[in-house]
Amino acid sequence: MEHPILFISLILQNLGLPVPHGPVGDTLLAKLVSPHMTYTWLVMLFLIIVPKLTLGKMSLVPGKGQNFWEVIIGGLEGFMADNMGKEGARMMFPMLATFALYILVANMIGLMPGFMSPTSNLNITLACTLIVFFTTHILGVKFHGAGYIKHFLGPIPWLIPLMLPIELISHFARILSLSIRLFGNIMAKETLLGILFMLAGAYFAPLPILCLGVFVSIVQALVFLLLSILYFSAAMEHAH
Amino acid sequence: MSDNSRKDTLRLLAQFSTIGMTVAFSIFIGVGIGYYLDHKVFAGRTSPWLTLIFLGLGVGAAFKNLYDMASRKDL
Repeated sequence: MEHPILFISLILQNLGLPVPHGPVGDTLLAKLVSPHMTYTWLVMLFLIIVPKLTLGKMSLVPGKGQNFWEVIIGGLEGFMADNMGKEGARMMFPMLATFALYILVANMIGLMPGFMSPTSNLNITLACTLIVFFTTHILGVKFHGAGYIKHFLGPIPWLIPLMLPIELISHFARILSLSIRLFGNIMAKETLLGILFMLAGAYFAPLPILCLGVFVSIVQALVFLLLSILYFSAAMEHAH
Repeated sequence: MSDNSRKDTLRLLAQFSTIGMTVAFSIFIGVGIGYYLDHKVFAGRTSPWLTLIFLGLGVGAAFKNLYDMASRKDL
C-alpha cells in the first residue's frame, strides 16, 4: 500500500526533523513529531482558535457564531444532565465536553485528504481512557470515602473472595473496551479510505465510505461521552 | 415524546453494544493476569493452574456483566 501523504509530516520533514515512517519513532524528538502527535496539536489549535474567532464579543442577544456554540454547549450539558443529574453534570462538564469535542474533531479531521485522525492511534485513545478510568475511581473515593470498596465486594459477605477479582477484572475490561472500540472504528475508517483512494480514487469510490465516516465519527464520539458519563454516575451512586 | 424515546434508544444502543466486547476482554484480561502470575511472579512453578483459575474468574466476570445487564430495573 502506498504511504499516505500527510501535510504536517511533509513540512516537518523538509524542515529537517526526524519524522518517523512507522507509527511511533525511537528518540524523544521523533516521538514528538510523529503524525498522531502533530495532528493532535492541530486539533487542539483548531479547538482553541476557531471558537475565539467565531465567538466575537459575547452579547446578550447572540450573533451567528455565539448562537452556534451556545447550541453545542447547551446540547452537551443537556445530554449530560439527562444521564447523570444536574449536580454531576455541572461538576464533570469541563472534562467531558473537552473529550467530546476533541474526539469529534479528531475523528472528522481524518476525512480530509492529507490529514489523519489522531484517534486512529491506540496511544491517544488509551490515554483518554486512562484519564476516564482514574477519574472514575477518584470520584468514587471522593463521594464514598473508604466505603467505596463496597462497590467491589458484591452483596453477600462470604462471596467476597470470588466477587473481588471478578469486579476488578470487569473494571479493567472497561479500559480495553473503551479504548479499543474508538481506536478500531477510526482505524478501520482510515485504512478503508486509504485502500479505496489507492484502488479507484479517480472514480469516486471512497465517496460512500466518506459519508459513513462522518456517521461513525459522530457516533463514536457520542458513545465515548455516554460511556464515561455512565461510569462516572455508577461510581457516584451508592453500592447496591 | 418521540424525541425522548429516540434519545433513550440511542442510550440503550450504546450501552448494550458494549456487551460483546466486554465479554471478550474480560476473558482475555483474566487469562493475562493468570499468565503473568504463573510465568513472571512464580516463574513457572505453578504453571498451568493460576492461568486456569483466572480464566475461570474472567469468564465469571463476563457472565456477571451479562447478568447485571439482564437484571436492570429501568427498562
